[in-house]
Amino acid sequence: MIRANPFVRGLMMVLGVTFILPLIIMALTSFKAEKEVMDPSSVLPRTYTMANYNQLLASSAEAPVLLWGVNSLFISCATTLLVVVMSAMTAYAITRIKVRGGEVFMNILIGTMMVPSQLFLIPLYVILGRLGALDTPYALILPATAGGFGVFMVSQFMRSIPISLEEAALIDGCNHFQVFWRITLPLCGPILATLGVFTFIASWNDYITPLVFMEKITNYTLPVGIALFQSSYSTQYGLTLATSLLATLPLLFVFIIFQKQIIESMSASGLKD
Amino acid sequence: MAPYVISFVLFVFLPVCISLWLSFVQLDLSNAAGSKPVGFQNFTDAIKDDFFWMATKATLYYASLMVPAVIIIGSLLAFGLFYMGKGRDAVRGFLYIPGILNVAAAGILWTWFFQRDFGLFNFIGRKMHLPPIPWLVDKAYAMPSIVIMSVWWTIGATAIIILTALQQIPAALFEAAALDGASTWQTIKKVAFPILKPVLLFVFITSTISSFQMFGQAMILTGGGPENSTRGLVQYMFETAFNGFRFGYGAAVSWLLFGLIAIFAVVQARIVRSQS
Repeated sequence: MIRANPFVRGLMMVLGVTFILPLIIMALTSFKAEKEVMDPSSVLPRTYTMANYNQLLASSAEAPVLLWGVNSLFISCATTLLVVVMSAMTAYAITRIKVRGGEVFMNILIGTMMVPSQLFLIPLYVILGRLGALDTPYALILPATAGGFGVFMVSQFMRSIPISLEEAALIDGCNHFQVFWRITLPLCGPILATLGVFTFIASWNDYITPLVFMEKITNYTLPVGIALFQSSYSTQYGLTLATSLLATLPLLFVFIIFQKQIIESMSASGLKD
Repeated sequence: MAPYVISFVLFVFLPVCISLWLSFVQLDLSNAAGSKPVGFQNFTDAIKDDFFWMATKATLYYASLMVPAVIIIGSLLAFGLFYMGKGRDAVRGFLYIPGILNVAAAGILWTWFFQRDFGLFNFIGRKMHLPPIPWLVDKAYAMPSIVIMSVWWTIGATAIIILTALQQIPAALFEAAALDGASTWQTIKKVAFPILKPVLLFVFITSTISSFQMFGQAMILTGGGPENSTRGLVQYMFETAFNGFRFGYGAAVSWLLFGLIAIFAVVQARIVRSQS
């Protein structure tokens, strides 16, 4: 019997609130007038103003915030969709069809997972330049589909689900595509949801890749756009925080909806050994 | 499978080869002459470069602060969650939420907290009659400030991993300890800690690898300053390659970074492979 300690509970609750306090301050400050923003003596705005949000919605040429939002949304959604579909199909080919060389490929893939992602930046810049894809959304979407993590994770899961159902369907005359579509894919629903959530979050928050591959301000994603504020709009702190909130809210919703999957798969990552 | 293999060859396999090739040639986008093989010169240039060593030092310094902080604070939070009973799920969620912020948003928020004259921390300090701390502008405080922000940003995931390992320990072990009259502290030290060792090793490896790759926090909070004290290897590589356009040299630096990570990465790959 683990004795819950009320003192520990009180302390942890205070700590928990402290952890999200910066976000609350960010939200409140985004409703402050510009001259009040830098004044720390009151966290609550003395007068609430929508000025920062009006400016955000105006999406001016120097700060096309809405455009960045649209770019982020398109890139993250396309990346997520492609990663989920391609990971599932590849995992099926390796673990179910058992294509020749599949296991060797899997080992190479696990090997490349230990190469730090930053090593890819320079050669990808060269390749994408040749493909004429630099400064387009494809520069961010296509390389993201090559990561080995999704294939590895879905393969692990497929190996753990019984194969008998699929075999029965094959005997009954289904082809591999039908089996994959009607049986394997639905069975893999939970792991694909988890993969999708993590891919979406990573893509949405990616900072270094768009920083390197995107040039025109209109092609920026939200994180790079926010960082741009810091160098050129340091006086417009309210607008910066409003944009930060806009960049955070979608993920907050994703987190609230998929909390179970996120926490569970993070928990599982530590139980590897 | 075919689309994925194409994508893998084009965006993983080919880049590794190109990067390897680049590290042995001189390729500067500023000069149109194209590439020139230079043998190991990129690597020897890096080893002779003071800025490379400053970046290495900053990277190791960051890791030396971050990794112990992550392990100790992560464990404390995990035990706190474990012993808090009711409300655990909510607090666990709260601890994780900072991690969903992108580094630019989180960094800009904390730049303001750390600001010397109008910042929140020094405002609170002044109320308590403490002298203002030059958080981001003084060499002695800049890296610790980045570590404080990074701990807040990433610690939730670590705490959850350790908490889950704690929850896997059979309740009977805790009961036996309680029957033997062990205090909570003794139970943590003698029962829980030995069982947690593998998960703490996992946290040690993964947090070391990610510390060596620190980039965004320094870019936003300090830009690498003051006096290059917070510019890590990734930022050094990024700036030589994409501001200085020295691609060959940048590629060599990225392989040196990989060398630094390699030992830890091999252990991690072992752990991953043992699963499959």
